[in-house]
Amino acid sequence: MSKPALLSLHQALKRSFHSLEQNQEVWNSVLEECRPLMGSLCNLAEQLLALNNVQISSTPLARFPNLQDRLRFKLLVAVDTVLEKMAEKMCSLQMVRDAVGNKVTAAFQVYEQHADTLDLSACLQRSAAAPSVADMLEWLQDADRYYRQQYLKRKALLQALKSNDHSDLQSAPKRWEALAMPEEEDRVSDALASVSFFMDSP
Amino acid sequence: MMDLKVLPLDIGDTGTQRCRLGPGLMTSLGLRIGSPVHITISGGECLCTAWPRSDLADGFLQFDRKCTTKDLKAVTFSDLSVCPKQIKAICSQKLKGVRVNVVVQSIDVKKHASASFIHDLVKEMLRGMCVAGQYIVDVTHLKTQVQLILIEHLDPCNADTGFITAKTSVSIGAIQTLNSYKCQLQKPPGVLLGGMEDVCASLKEIVHLPLRYPRTLQKLGVSCPRGVLLVGPPGVGKTMLVRNVVMEVGAALVTVNGPVVLGSRPGESEENLRRKFRRASEAAQEGPCVLFIDEIDSLCPRRASSTSAPQNRVVAQLLTLMDGIGSDESFVIIGATNQPDTLDPALRRPGRFDREVIIGVPTLRQRKSILDVLGSQMPLSDDVDFVSLAEMTTGCVGADLSALCREAALQAILHSPQGFPRHAVDMKHFLEALKKIQPSCLRSSIGLTDFKPLSWDQIGGLEDVKLKLKQSIEWPMKFPEAFVRLGLSRPRGVLLYGPPGCAKTTLVKAAASSSHCAFLSVSGADLFSPFVGDSEKALAQLFRQARACAPSILFLDEIDILGSRGDSSAPHSVQARLLSVLLNELDGVGLKTQERRGTRRERCPPEGSPPEGSAEFQQELQMSYQEVCNKDVMIVAATNRPEALDSALLRPGRLDKIICVPPPDMEARLAILEICTRRMPLESDVCLKELAQKTHLFSGADLENLCKEAALLILQEEGMDASSIKHRYFIKSLQSMTPSLKDQQIQRYQNLFTS
Repeated sequence: MSKPALLSLHQALKRSFHSLEQNQEVWNSVLEECRPLMGSLCNLAEQLLALNNVQISSTPLARFPNLQDRLRFKLLVAVDTVLEKMAEKMCSLQMVRDAVGNKVTAAFQVYEQHADTLDLSACLQRSAAAPSVADMLEWLQDADRYYRQQYLKRKALLQALKSNDHSDLQSAPKRWEALAMPEEEDRVSDALASVSFFMDSP
Repeated sequence: MMDLKVLPLDIGDTGTQRCRLGPGLMTSLGLRIGSPVHITISGGECLCTAWPRSDLADGFLQFDRKCTTKDLKAVTFSDLSVCPKQIKAICSQKLKGVRVNVVVQSIDVKKHASASFIHDLVKEMLRGMCVAGQYIVDVTHLKTQVQLILIEHLDPCNADTGFITAKTSVSIGAIQTLNSYKCQLQKPPGVLLGGMEDVCASLKEIVHLPLRYPRTLQKLGVSCPRGVLLVGPPGVGKTMLVRNVVMEVGAALVTVNGPVVLGSRPGESEENLRRKFRRASEAAQEGPCVLFIDEIDSLCPRRASSTSAPQNRVVAQLLTLMDGIGSDESFVIIGATNQPDTLDPALRRPGRFDREVIIGVPTLRQRKSILDVLGSQMPLSDDVDFVSLAEMTTGCVGADLSALCREAALQAILHSPQGFPRHAVDMKHFLEALKKIQPSCLRSSIGLTDFKPLSWDQIGGLEDVKLKLKQSIEWPMKFPEAFVRLGLSRPRGVLLYGPPGCAKTTLVKAAASSSHCAFLSVSGADLFSPFVGDSEKALAQLFRQARACAPSILFLDEIDILGSRGDSSAPHSVQARLLSVLLNELDGVGLKTQERRGTRRERCPPEGSPPEGSAEFQQELQMSYQEVCNKDVMIVAATNRPEALDSALLRPGRLDKIICVPPPDMEARLAILEICTRRMPLESDVCLKELAQKTHLFSGADLENLCKEAALLILQEEGMDASSIKHRYFIKSLQSMTPSLKDQQIQRYQNLFTS
């Protein structure tokens, strides 16, 4: 059994979990900020639908020339603005994903480096204060995959949006919400809770 | 080491490419956490990363099937155990690049999604995975537009497996939809078709045409043919033909079944139809597609005859849908039916069903090739002769022949000696099975009769009549090449006439049993029915069935009832109408197109046929002669009132061979008596010659009766213990009998066609 190898691996794991803890907060706050944006997207889609259904010429507004087209243009510009903002949010989500990814990869690299000296049974040893190395690596990988999948799905949804398909736009917020996987999110939180003693230990 | 029990995967591990092993096994295999392993399981292979089980128990295996080979996909893993040898640790490097094909959810994605988007998606999905060439990565659990990723090629080339990292470059080859991918996966047809090469080729041509030469057709300014109607009796293999062609061409198949489409709510059926057509047109955007409507007669009956409005709406919907296929949508509609007459006539016009392909009851040669195909899978012993089997199975369709083979195989299993699980199928098994198989085109025919086979020897005398019958019935079947060589055609019909009781019917029975062909027998009385038009229909159907299983013998007993000279008093009587049907069927203008069988073959042997002089060539030649010579129905009629027959019936070309069956002469009577007394114990003083001399004007039936009377007499006089018949009893019974024939009557018969 090589104590120094295990120690350095533990250090790497600690760093990864610290980073994960911070990034989880960032991720959740960014997602919170996305919600009103998606709501306004839905609102705009509804307005576009309503505009399509109304006959401007039969309303008192008929005196304004080209009103329908102008309104549509305005709404579409607004949609674009919202989507731009969403893209910014996606950027910050991507940053979270990459940060977590890098830390997890780093932890795995440390493990790979010391794998020859580390016994498998040492990696499987659990104690009251610290979970086993295998469990922690697994949790890290799970968390990494969770963020990557979430980012992928959300990005795919935004990519697939077509501004000329209003009903598609209208249902987007619902689908956006449906993408959230609370049980996966809970697993990340659970993992963080399990390693809290380990993280606090020197 | 003990086997590992395969357990279902934990939900949390889905899509992680992990396999959960016990720590003991991991140590013995030298695995680290997360190192790649290769699992060989139930015919397929799977790539995973090794992780210890959370409960650290050995003896179990759970694995995620995210990255597998093609053959593993459809396997279920209940009660499966794996030997540890089937799990191998592999060392893999980081890949520089990978080329993949992508399977997406729908045609919509394929058309609209941008290449860079798909690329990003795929790259992100593959990151961190361990892959190998020709493996499939299943990403359905992510629920995005991409469903499967097929790994085509790895860079560096010498790597068998490798990890994909953020630095690995991913290039995308082809993008296809899930449906077309599933079509590709379908295995090539296991069942081949025999004797349908020409129909198969023409179908293939239609499916291929719009794909191969779209420009040419555009230049010519014509649209491609889009509809084919397959017509044929049940069991000839219409459905199987379509399935085969579709698989061979690699087209997508959308099937519409009449009863499935019809729904209970108003408008539901039409909606189902529209959905099917939409599916076909979606599939057609990617490759050839065939929309197959089986039993189309149930979906599209004649509108005039049906009174139900919903049914008519379905027909109208089908017609509009068929018209609505644009020329850019290249899918082919194939309909199959066995009752083309009940279809709505609007369906059978160019633009809807452009071509009608008629598949008839198989001919001799086609039966031979069907049997060849069916038998290719069976262990046959050397004495099985498919040519003679094909000759015996007149009127059998493909389904009958496959039933025959199945029955023969069953016979072989049942009769194989215990302890010898050899199960070779012999000719005798086939012959046994043949007794149980009835040709399906003769089912429910009024002419079908069951009689005891009779040989020529069982008829006494009448040698020249027998010879004439053999000439016209047996010879064309046995020596077709001689007939063809001399340009002879067999007679269309034979009329047997003569006084009653002179073995006319028996002669026909003997002829039927000596030649292996279908035998239909009907007497005038069978045909009459109280409904107007029914009798004519029955007669026409009888002829149709006889033609379907040609070569066949159609025996019309007591034809004088059908074909009596029209009475001027009742020109529209049933008899007159029946006679006109009979005359038409005997020598009409032609056949209905639906009854077409086989194709007109060139007389020269086709390419690729066996070389001249070989045994196979001889066999082939023999079969072709047989087909040329015996494609018709032989009509045999019998009457004892020939003078009552309409003269139109008797002209050459109809019943052209007229054979008189005379009352037996002296020698014939002797022969008949010998045959009748063959089973009777005779006293030595019995002189059959004397009896024959004394029985002038006795018919065959009279002579048989005489023998019976004599036997009864002896039982009456000598009690039940009598052992043999004495001569005086014959004489005694002869005294009490009078001949049924009269000199004058015989004279009349003999002068009838000679004067």
